[in-house]
Amino acid sequence: MSWTIDEWFVVALARTIRPAETVFHGFGSPCAQVAMHVARRTHAPDMVLIEGAMYAINPDPPFIPPTGNDASLSRGAVYSMRFEEFFDAAIRGDVDRMFLSGGQIDVSGNTNVTAIGPVARPKVKLGGGGGGCNVSATIGHLTLWTTRHRSGYTLVEACDFITDIGHRTPLGTRAEIGFTGGGPQWLVTELGVFDFPGGRARLVQLFPDVSLAEIREVTGFPVQVAGDLRAVGPPSAGELAAVRSVDPLGVRRSEFSPRELDRVFEAEAGPDCAC
Amino acid sequence: MSLQPSRDKRASLADAVALVSDGAIVALGGGLSARLPMAMVRELIRQGRRGLHLVGSAHSIDVDMLVAAGAVRRCEESYVGFEQDLGLAPAYRRAAQEGSIEVAESCCVNILAQLRAAEMGLPFLPVRGVRGSDIAGLHPEYATITCPFTGETLIAVPALRPDVALLHAPSGDRYGNLHLEQPYVLDERFASAARTVIATVDELVSTEEVAASGVTIPAHLVTATVLARFGAHPTSCYPRYAYDRAHLREYVSAAQSGPDDLGKYLTTYVYGSEESYRAAVGAERLAALTAWSHSTATWQELFR
Repeated sequence: MSWTIDEWFVVALARTIRPAETVFHGFGSPCAQVAMHVARRTHAPDMVLIEGAMYAINPDPPFIPPTGNDASLSRGAVYSMRFEEFFDAAIRGDVDRMFLSGGQIDVSGNTNVTAIGPVARPKVKLGGGGGGCNVSATIGHLTLWTTRHRSGYTLVEACDFITDIGHRTPLGTRAEIGFTGGGPQWLVTELGVFDFPGGRARLVQLFPDVSLAEIREVTGFPVQVAGDLRAVGPPSAGELAAVRSVDPLGVRRSEFSPRELDRVFEAEAGPDCAC
Repeated sequence: MSLQPSRDKRASLADAVALVSDGAIVALGGGLSARLPMAMVRELIRQGRRGLHLVGSAHSIDVDMLVAAGAVRRCEESYVGFEQDLGLAPAYRRAAQEGSIEVAESCCVNILAQLRAAEMGLPFLPVRGVRGSDIAGLHPEYATITCPFTGETLIAVPALRPDVALLHAPSGDRYGNLHLEQPYVLDERFASAARTVIATVDELVSTEEVAASGVTIPAHLVTATVLARFGAHPTSCYPRYAYDRAHLREYVSAAQSGPDDLGKYLTTYVYGSEESYRAAVGAERLAALTAWSHSTATWQELFR
């Protein structure tokens, strides 16, 4: 059995979803989008999957299209929320998990999808945060991800602009600000996986073709490492089959640089269930 | 202001879009790659509109092309771009970096709350998030308030009443009753919050027909309705047509390359008329986009 980094990465994202959770991803997020469907087809069949900008509940799309609000994404759903139904649910705290990414992600899990450089005259104007600056305050847990860790400019000590709220901003911690959501729980990158004990990113897993030295070199903050640092668990045959059948067009691959997509792994098939 | 009277509201695209003044606050319906009001966007460019203040949630070619044509003073959306697939919005990005437009980037929840306040005739509504995010700093009009009941600190966002909302629907009748398919995005909220609502429809049908499909936005909120075939192209308008990814890519590539190629795009596709637009895109291509429902394989093939 062999697999590529995009497949493994999606599986690592899927594993951050717990059974019975209500989970949402934003638009322009193919890896998170595929991961949610993989989780629902493997270890979390009872999750409530809210499909991106279609707000469809538990759809079974025939394929994942390269845009976040195509009608194919609501196929098989008997109900799609209105825009306001979803955001109301998110701000009153009825959504357990959301996937968030950013052009910059800092050590506290704040994310920047607005501007690199000063916002009045940015070096790069990014697209914008959708509903993130409100829903990141109230959603139960956040799974952050980036496929650009190796670039060296994604994981930073402090974001140039905070669009979505992590564990601590210049205004104080989440508890001090009075936010009800738990904030970032995981940060999955194409190099490894971080958790956030005490509100600061800590490396807990590495992909086996990556060294700790490489991670330190491309991370913009001092890397705190878990005592039981281990390799990311290999995907099961069932998880890989789910990735491939959910995403026949391979839209998840659009998040990776060509160099990363050359990463191929081989092993004996793991157990069929991640649980 | 009363609700809109019951009468035949059919208008030409040119006459309807003339209701949008220079400097108006314009709400754009649809979102991302779905049901953007592109026929009206193109007509605004043909009419040389200037100084617009655009509001919306997550948008793409509509905002980018209006910025490219010099029609925009201020952008107040939660996102402008072409997702992972085609990347950043070239003209919007350039204008923001040069400082030639005001970027008042917002959040879906704030815009929703602001529209709801306008719908209710209230001066503001509170939201819970935003604090700690630098989005707050882009909006000096927001205020920090204390809840009189719980003592919680909240952000008050003022009512947002667009001068005009531009909406596109797959079908509607002559009176302005509109049927939409999901995602409705903010179209319903725009329809009741805006002073003037202009709709384009891919097909004008009888009242009985639109009632049978389901009226999503009622005639009493709509000011003018315009027949505009493929009026959302190159974005989708289900159940009629899927989005035209190849055309979006052609636009993005022209806009990335700079003013010359962008000028060529506008000359080829925009500066004529909607008839010449459809001719330039080609009947064969348009027919292919409507064939999405033939089979899953046909549908999927449109996105390769």
